Amino acid sequence: MKKALLLAAIISLLALTAAPAVQAATPYEAYTYNYYSDAVALPAPFLPERTVDGAGLGVGDFKLPNDFYVTKDGTVYILDSGNNRIVVADEHWNVIRIIDGFDNNGTPDTFGNPNGIFVSETGKIYVADTDKRRVVVLTGQGELVKIVENPQSEVLPANFEFAPLKVTADRAERIFVVARGVYEGIMQFNDTGEFLGYVGTIKVQPSVADRLWRWLATDAQKSQMVLFIPTEFSSVDIDDKGFVYATNIDVGSTETIKRINPLGKDVIKRFGHYPNVGDIRYRSYGRDSGPSKLTDIKYIGDGMYIVLDSNRARVFAYNDEGELLYAFGGRGTQLGVFNTPVSVEWQKGKLLVLDRGKNNIVIFRPTKFGKLVHEATALHYNGNTADSVELWKEVLRLNSNYDIAYLGIGKSLLMAKQNKEAMEYFKLGMSRKYYSIAFKRYRREVMQEHFGTFMTTAVVLIAAFAAFRIARRVRLGRSAGHEA
Amino acid sequence: MKHEWIRFPFHILFHPYDGFWDLKYENKGRMSVAMAILLLMVVATSLMKQFAGFLVNFNDPRYLNTLDDLAFTVLPFFLFCVANWSVTTLMEGEGKFREIVISTAYALLPMILINLPLTYISRFMTNEETAFYWMLNSFGAIWFLYLLFVGNMTIHQYSVTKAVFTLVLTVIAMGIIVFLGALALTICMDMYWFVYDIYRELIFR
Repeated sequence: MKKALLLAAIISLLALTAAPAVQAATPYEAYTYNYYSDAVALPAPFLPERTVDGAGLGVGDFKLPNDFYVTKDGTVYILDSGNNRIVVADEHWNVIRIIDGFDNNGTPDTFGNPNGIFVSETGKIYVADTDKRRVVVLTGQGELVKIVENPQSEVLPANFEFAPLKVTADRAERIFVVARGVYEGIMQFNDTGEFLGYVGTIKVQPSVADRLWRWLATDAQKSQMVLFIPTEFSSVDIDDKGFVYATNIDVGSTETIKRINPLGKDVIKRFGHYPNVGDIRYRSYGRDSGPSKLTDIKYIGDGMYIVLDSNRARVFAYNDEGELLYAFGGRGTQLGVFNTPVSVEWQKGKLLVLDRGKNNIVIFRPTKFGKLVHEATALHYNGNTADSVELWKEVLRLNSNYDIAYLGIGKSLLMAKQNKEAMEYFKLGMSRKYYSIAFKRYRREVMQEHFGTFMTTAVVLIAAFAAFRIARRVRLGRSAGHEA
Repeated sequence: MKHEWIRFPFHILFHPYDGFWDLKYENKGRMSVAMAILLLMVVATSLMKQFAGFLVNFNDPRYLNTLDDLAFTVLPFFLFCVANWSVTTLMEGEGKFREIVISTAYALLPMILINLPLTYISRFMTNEETAFYWMLNSFGAIWFLYLLFVGNMTIHQYSVTKAVFTLVLTVIAMGIIVFLGALALTICMDMYWFVYDIYRELIFR
């Protein structure tokens, strides 16, 4: 009897574990904002897979890592700031090498609390070596290429202290540096390390209250006041075309994400129903309040970019039009939520987030929903609207509240001249602009089709009316004639 | 259009001075017609919110409520009438409350006459043509305000400046009434909860 019970217990336990996990629970809720700026729940686009830390890699614990970079082939460069080293691992997290110093023209040199790292397509490593006031460029093997330091220019003050925080470079090896205490924009250097000037200057707009206060203040008070200086940039990345993506922490601004063209102008599209600034609904006071503080940005290809909000520890993905694809994340101790997320990267379809508080990297793998959204967005971005329709339909099957999918299908129908159907989808996707285009075409179609019928009816009616008038006049004339 | 009670409101539309004079001294206005116009206004508002074309309809369909439309049309209407009556009684206005109600209701007619067909036409507009929608919509509103002004002036036998002045005072009076109403309601609620709390204290002793 006892054995039978034990057997039953074992079998039931096995059955329990063998049952497939239909939906793995996530410690966060994914969402996007709809037309009415309400957060609508989404199926999780990413699931946390595992974490990677220094001990797991066999290189000893990380110590306050500030940044990391993943190249197109999946190689990971972790900037382990507290240990002043760079840990290089391949796609499968096997450590290739550790760079903890370099040969500076004969003398061994190390990093000083570096804050930013970037690896170019040619494999050169750029390190924003903050405390040593320089940007170090190394080869993939860790040999020194050049050092950019001590920029000289008449636009820089005499006692200027160059403290680089984040760095990126384009194909022509121009270097873009976000530096501490620099409010004019992103510092741009040419390939020889010469300072060229600033790009992407942030506009300053004092609020009405600020202006009123300033107007009331006396000159003595004014001199005590802080200047209206724009905030600093917080991160930079670069896309395949050499456009710099940058974020800045500017409370109250709707332009915290920028895409800077080679001329230094912000050309990012903000075509969504609301600005692309992270969260648009948040509490004003108390816990988790205030607008998003975007601390990192990663361009992941096909017009999409991902930003990291350090305020509420969330990840936001946008498409090239500036529409929010999804948002998720949060603070906590479980796998998949963060303590102090500092950097976000993209490793061949997987999302990686570096957590300075936990000294580890969280690996997220895409779910079916996440994959579909990314694939459909990529197809749409590359102009294959017809191919994207099937994917969007699948997305809608998983989540019928996804406005962007309706828009995608609508645009494809519009291309195929199915104007009436397109109207329906644009209405569901709440796009008045495209609805109007589809409706205009549909109306013209209907009018052309029925123009003949309409004109015939009109002519017949006019003729009948004229005949009636003539008949009445004749009859009246006759009766008048009779009377006379 | 044989019946006077149908023809008269339309007469007022185009000959407001003449019309409102007749309303006051020839006793041509009818309370039943006024109430019918008010009801039609509610219907027109509801229809417009529900059925205006997608390009001009910015209402969130989740929150459309005909009862709200009723409340938010009828209540401000009577609020205006009461406030206007209160102000004009003190300001030597000659209008009776009945005349104020009828003239205000008759002034609403252009909004109904414009908004109803506009709701239908708006369904066939493209984005570029919606300018006409907003233009006609504002035109209806301006016509309403004009009739309201002329009606008020004629009913109370005011000069232009005095009519403007009393209308401004009426708006202020409306604010005061709403404030006092809210205050009274809050105090009543507080009293209710006070008694309720005492009751609970007693039964849980």
